[in-house]
Amino acid sequence: MANPVVELENVRREYLVGDQVTVALDGVDLVIEHGEFVAIVGPSGSGKSTMMNLIGCLDRPSSGVVKIASDPTSELNDNQLTSLRSKAIGFVFQQFQLLPNTTAIENVMAPLLYQGISSKQAKQSATEMLTRLGLGERLNFDRNRLSGGQQQRVAIARALVTSPDIVLADEPTGALDSKTGAQVIDLLKELNQEGRTIILITHDLDIAASAPRRVFLRDGRIERDERGSK
Amino acid sequence: MLGVVIGVAAIVALTSIVDGASQGINKSLATLGTNQLNITAMAPDALTEQDAEALAKLDGVSVMFVQAQNEGTIATEDKRVNARLVGVSSQYFAAVKPEIALGAYLSDSKFAASAKDVVFGADAANDLGLTSDMLGQTVKLNGQDFRLVGVLDDQAGFGTGGRVYVTLDAARKLFSQYPYVSSIVVQAETPEAVDALQVASDRLLRDRYGLGAETEARYTITNQASLIAAVSSITDTLGLLLTGIAGISLIVGGIGIMNIMLVSVRERTREIGVRRAIGAKQSNILTQFLIEAIVLSLAGGVVGLILGQIAAFFLAIIGDWVFSIQLETVLLALGFSLVVGVVFGVWPARTAAKLEPIDALRFE
Repeated sequence: MANPVVELENVRREYLVGDQVTVALDGVDLVIEHGEFVAIVGPSGSGKSTMMNLIGCLDRPSSGVVKIASDPTSELNDNQLTSLRSKAIGFVFQQFQLLPNTTAIENVMAPLLYQGISSKQAKQSATEMLTRLGLGERLNFDRNRLSGGQQQRVAIARALVTSPDIVLADEPTGALDSKTGAQVIDLLKELNQEGRTIILITHDLDIAASAPRRVFLRDGRIERDERGSK
Repeated sequence: MLGVVIGVAAIVALTSIVDGASQGINKSLATLGTNQLNITAMAPDALTEQDAEALAKLDGVSVMFVQAQNEGTIATEDKRVNARLVGVSSQYFAAVKPEIALGAYLSDSKFAASAKDVVFGADAANDLGLTSDMLGQTVKLNGQDFRLVGVLDDQAGFGTGGRVYVTLDAARKLFSQYPYVSSIVVQAETPEAVDALQVASDRLLRDRYGLGAETEARYTITNQASLIAAVSSITDTLGLLLTGIAGISLIVGGIGIMNIMLVSVRERTREIGVRRAIGAKQSNILTQFLIEAIVLSLAGGVVGLILGQIAAFFLAIIGDWVFSIQLETVLLALGFSLVVGVVFGVWPARTAAKLEPIDALRFE
């Protein structure tokens, strides 16, 4: 029954700033099961960005074990880490981070092309994904001609197109007005109901409240791990 | 990028100059033939017509002619200028075949009857203001009457322009230096026989003047092959110089491209981070920036190629040689810009590829 996609075991991450050691995560244990919708909540400096980077295979722990889809990340070289990231994780960023000078469809095709998928097949998958998210009419728009909400939907399409185990959303509503933000949260819920694992990183308690499970971080430690709606 | 433009333009222009110049020189020299020996007097009394007749009897000589030359004046009724008067023996025109613009050569078969005829070089004719309707008219050489029978083309060959040609008999009367001549040309039957003929000619002349093998002679013997070699060494040096200029420009241009790319990598750090996050490997990033550097450099190369060809076109008009776009020049220009792009693009591209994804994403 239990099918963990993210496992953190006594994870510690230290940074050297000048000659001072800063502890960003101080011995954290966390298991996220397949199909969960988890919000990781905390003020800035709580360690949530570090946790996101570790789960997103953008960084490696100083000590402890991070397993993504049962693969420990600490032993992997840059290429293997990239390949795990490409296969297992879809990123949604606060500032959308669409690639410059590219159209909606080119953005969504990029992860597939990096996986070595043919451009014809990538185009087809990207078209389907954008159409599903209601952007079928705007495939060839570049980012200047898309509203914030549309750009974030392109970014979500880009995150989903490789069918990753985990969608990692870092403050996905941070740059949107509250109405558009709510639509994005609804979209994430909908994707979760289809069986995808969603990890939402936010400092906003209202946004966090929409997730069935909420992990509160403070000073590099897990303060509370709540389940159930409030 | 300007450096690449200049560098490539320089390469294109220089290839065209070197090609064009050697084309022109070889053409002038070819009119003289590669199987000829020029024996030139280094003093007014160093060579005689009798020497020439003796040389003509050597084995392997197919043609022999002599030239006797001196400064003199040429004049029409209303103009008078200085020119170089050259007396030539009967085989000169048949052997050299300079291109003629007006009229005819001094005839070979009726050479004796041509003793009062004159053929002008193009520049000499210009200086005196001769026109086509003056063919057959009288001109004065050193005060004596001659009949103008021909004018050489301005492309007739190396050194013909300022000269005025008469028969050897006429020359004797014009500047009475008989029996001395300024140069003797002997032509071997084949180009391969030229070297042997050169040795034989030298030995014969040394015997006639009682010179030992080591004594310095008062004449020099040159063959056309060594003249061509000397001239091409000059064009080679010129080419080398221009290659140096082109090389420096290309290095400067390459550094410019490296700089542009480093700025671009810095400005696009976040984009690199996003690309890494969505699955780009280091090699993908490396390739992307390397291709951009190459595109930049190739664009400079194409502009340089166009400017260089325009320069070559005008140089061809000035230098009076044939303008043509050579496939090799195009490939050379594009090849050089490709190499510059790769060499100077690698470091910025590596810098981009080696960025840590989290650092790149966090970069403001």
